Amino acid sequence: MIRTPLRPLARILEARQNGENPDAIERENLRIRHEQMRDKSRVRAEGRLLVLGIAFFCAFSVIGARMGMLAASEPAEPRAQVSGHSIIASRADIVDRHGRVLATNMSTHSLYAHPQQMIEPDRAANALAGIFPDIDPDRLAARFKDPKRKFLWVKRKISPEQMQAVHDIGEPGLLFGPREMRLYPNGALAAHVLGGASYGAEDVHAAEVIGTAGIEKFLDEELRDPSRAGAPLELSIDMTVQAAAEEVLDAGMKLMNAKGAASVLMDVRTGEVISIVSLPDFDPNDRPNPLVEGNPSDSPLFNRAVQGVYELGSTYKIFAAAQAIDIGLVNKNTVIDTKPPFEVSGFKIGEFANKNYGELSVEKIIVKSSNRGTGKLALAIGPKRQKEFLKTLGQLDATPLEIVEAKGGAPLFPKRWTDLSAVTISYGHGISTSPLHLAAGYAALANGGIYVNPTLLKRNEPATGTRVMSEQAAATARGILRKVVTEGTASFAEVPGYHVGGKTGTADKPKERGGGYYDDKVIATFASIFPAHDPRYVLIVTLDEPVETSGKKPRRTAGWTAVPVAAEMTGRIAPLLGLRPDFGEPGLEKIFSTSR
Amino acid sequence: MSYLEYNTKTAPTGWRKVLHLNWPLVVLLTAVASVGFLMLYSVAGGSFSPWAEPQMKRYALGLAIMFLVAMVPIWFWRNMAFVAYLVGLALLLAVEFFGSVGMGAQRWIDLGFMRLQPSELMKISMVMMLAAYYDWLPLKKTSRPLWVLLPIVLILLPTGLVISQPDLGTAILLLTAGGLMMFLAGVHWAYFATVIAGGAAGIWAVFQSRGTDWQLLKDYQFRRIDTFLDPSSDPLGAGYHITQAKIAMGSGGWTGRGFMQGTQSRLNFLPEKHTDFIFNTLAEEFGFVGGISLLVLYVLVLVFCIFAAIQNKDRFSSLLILGIGLTFFLFFAVNMSMVMGLAPVVGVPLPLVSYGGSAMLVLMVAFGLVQSAHIHRHR
Repeated sequence: MIRTPLRPLARILEARQNGENPDAIERENLRIRHEQMRDKSRVRAEGRLLVLGIAFFCAFSVIGARMGMLAASEPAEPRAQVSGHSIIASRADIVDRHGRVLATNMSTHSLYAHPQQMIEPDRAANALAGIFPDIDPDRLAARFKDPKRKFLWVKRKISPEQMQAVHDIGEPGLLFGPREMRLYPNGALAAHVLGGASYGAEDVHAAEVIGTAGIEKFLDEELRDPSRAGAPLELSIDMTVQAAAEEVLDAGMKLMNAKGAASVLMDVRTGEVISIVSLPDFDPNDRPNPLVEGNPSDSPLFNRAVQGVYELGSTYKIFAAAQAIDIGLVNKNTVIDTKPPFEVSGFKIGEFANKNYGELSVEKIIVKSSNRGTGKLALAIGPKRQKEFLKTLGQLDATPLEIVEAKGGAPLFPKRWTDLSAVTISYGHGISTSPLHLAAGYAALANGGIYVNPTLLKRNEPATGTRVMSEQAAATARGILRKVVTEGTASFAEVPGYHVGGKTGTADKPKERGGGYYDDKVIATFASIFPAHDPRYVLIVTLDEPVETSGKKPRRTAGWTAVPVAAEMTGRIAPLLGLRPDFGEPGLEKIFSTSR
Repeated sequence: MSYLEYNTKTAPTGWRKVLHLNWPLVVLLTAVASVGFLMLYSVAGGSFSPWAEPQMKRYALGLAIMFLVAMVPIWFWRNMAFVAYLVGLALLLAVEFFGSVGMGAQRWIDLGFMRLQPSELMKISMVMMLAAYYDWLPLKKTSRPLWVLLPIVLILLPTGLVISQPDLGTAILLLTAGGLMMFLAGVHWAYFATVIAGGAAGIWAVFQSRGTDWQLLKDYQFRRIDTFLDPSSDPLGAGYHITQAKIAMGSGGWTGRGFMQGTQSRLNFLPEKHTDFIFNTLAEEFGFVGGISLLVLYVLVLVFCIFAAIQNKDRFSSLLILGIGLTFFLFFAVNMSMVMGLAPVVGVPLPLVSYGGSAMLVLMVAFGLVQSAHIHRHR
């Protein structure tokens, strides 16, 4: 930096010459220099100030812009101070095919305690025991007084009346949390379909409702999916039909002294299950605990219609007949010798009560329910083709029904499908399937030869299935089933106004520990289709260990037990399904009763 | 001997000083404070108690103190700067040992008639100290390392004490205000560039180290930083204030819900509605228009301060005025950013509007200093 000197020699000498004080020059120059420095620093400071000013301006712009942004934002509803709904607690309703509610949610409250805020833990515990009889006041008081406890649940769900009563205790350490609860307003109706729900993740503000069984568990994700936006899940079940079926089956089960019963009603064209009943049942609002010992199939939680795989006996015979007709081995009038002896691989095949039916047409074999006749058809078909056929009829895999229990209903059949297996399977022994399997198989006969998967969800379009037999074979089989009712073992199945076709089946129950069959315990099944001339529905009724005692000897065969129950049920539900009773007109009978 | 004192004869004396006050500034401050009274009246549900009335009394007291401070010549205050700084530091130390704990932090000393918050006092005395320092320091030494280090120590000493209270908001304000004072005083660019680059590198290193073997902080410390920077990750804890505050602003919209109609604040959804979050009450009841109006008032206060500083030829006076204006600006900028979710919630009140004693009195003393500098300037 070049500085102007404070005492420039020239000026000082000049001043001295003029007799002036040279110090004045120095002071003057010093002042100028200071002023220059100050001015320089001011310029610098003003530059700095400008930078700062720009920064301020930016800050103001940002704040102003943010204010505008927030002002333009959607005005949200004010939220309560205790908001805390971090757990999604909404679950879609379940409704029947006509939109009637089967499962819904109800807001209720949970009761919890902050023991450290409690004033009189003993009094509170006693008062609570007065409201909730299952509470032990001493144990609760001990938990309230445990100094380490900061929080404890008292009750997960309480009613409004109970809540008021707890309020009236006036204990500040007792607190309520909102709680959504799954409610099944129809109680035990369709219990096995719905299954039940319980709480998953929970805190005091909300709890997650998760399915524990049935369709609630199978479609848990879907029911909880927030994107459903509250759209209910529509089932194929018809609540009215379901209620009627349960009532009739319950009465029939008691009348026939059975320990359990199941029924399946299915639309043969769409595969929609209209009603499915398993007895005994339970209330999904208060699901019983699973059995810890004994046979799980004795629990009311056990779904006989889906999980219960039984040898369904003679109801299977129609499949052998239908297949034999379909592949052209026989027609319904082909005569087959059913006289004994008939041995396969060294085993004698017998008939019910050691009867001998002589020579029978294929139709009569089914009508009379001849084991030997069906066995011979099966031998003619051969084990390989029989297995394939039953596979396409869905008899060898678990049903795809939308409840978690369906997977547990996998059929049992021999690994090696020998000639003997083919013969016994043709009359329903050596293969165990559920009533639902049977319904799906009969549906294929009833709808003209197309297998459709059974479903619990309402279908809005016709189901696509696979053709398993020709239309004629299916029609012939239907004709035979009608004959079973009009002339054969299922004569009690006639319902005034409704023509029913079907097949009975009575299978001895195998002993639990192996070693053969009980001779006084049976599974009685009646598989029916109606209306017989143009079947719309298939109905399976199964009774577990029925005994009909009105005669001299106890009678256990399906014709005496399952069939009358099924007939009563058909009579009750056919009108509910909107089927018009057909009493026939005398002059027109021949034209209409083609199936006769 | 300061340049100022050569020119004492040009300064007004006696009652004539009142005429030379910066009256527009007084009017502006009163307008801002009135907004505060209005909002405190509203959040109390249309009642002067418990907040509006004490606030008005305090403002009246503050105004009186401002006039008193303004009457005293500015060179007296300059000579007192070091004393004020020492007293502030001593009080901060005292609060460390004898202070009462409020809201989980040790912040004030109970003097009986009022609670003194030394950290508030420190904001002013530090500005005074720095202004006096740079007035005393020969200009050419401004950027010499040793003379840069000294003010840094002057800033860090009180900042450290305030952090240990803990009061992060005030500490940030002290640090920022001190740094900006040094910037205005003309310290060389390179120092600031170094500090900013070093800070950025340090933060970057800390975040980069996360999850590696040489992690510089513990995991829980990282989690705290996460919640601090992004309160929405904890909507019921740290983020609760900000969620409610944003809802209040959204519900106010452009023109607001009307005086005393703000549901968020009146129904107690909004926490700290009479102190730190009072701006949201304003925005809910008077909308964007109301919010911008308050912002404009603040900007005008700042603009008047800057003009007063430019008019003033004395180095101490102009630095002091700028420093006080700066502190004022930082107060409301940080508060507004905080309540609008632009910055983490650090607990800085809205100057002159938020309910609170120390902050208002200290600000009025500060503006008294501004007025004194303005009256006693060289003409």
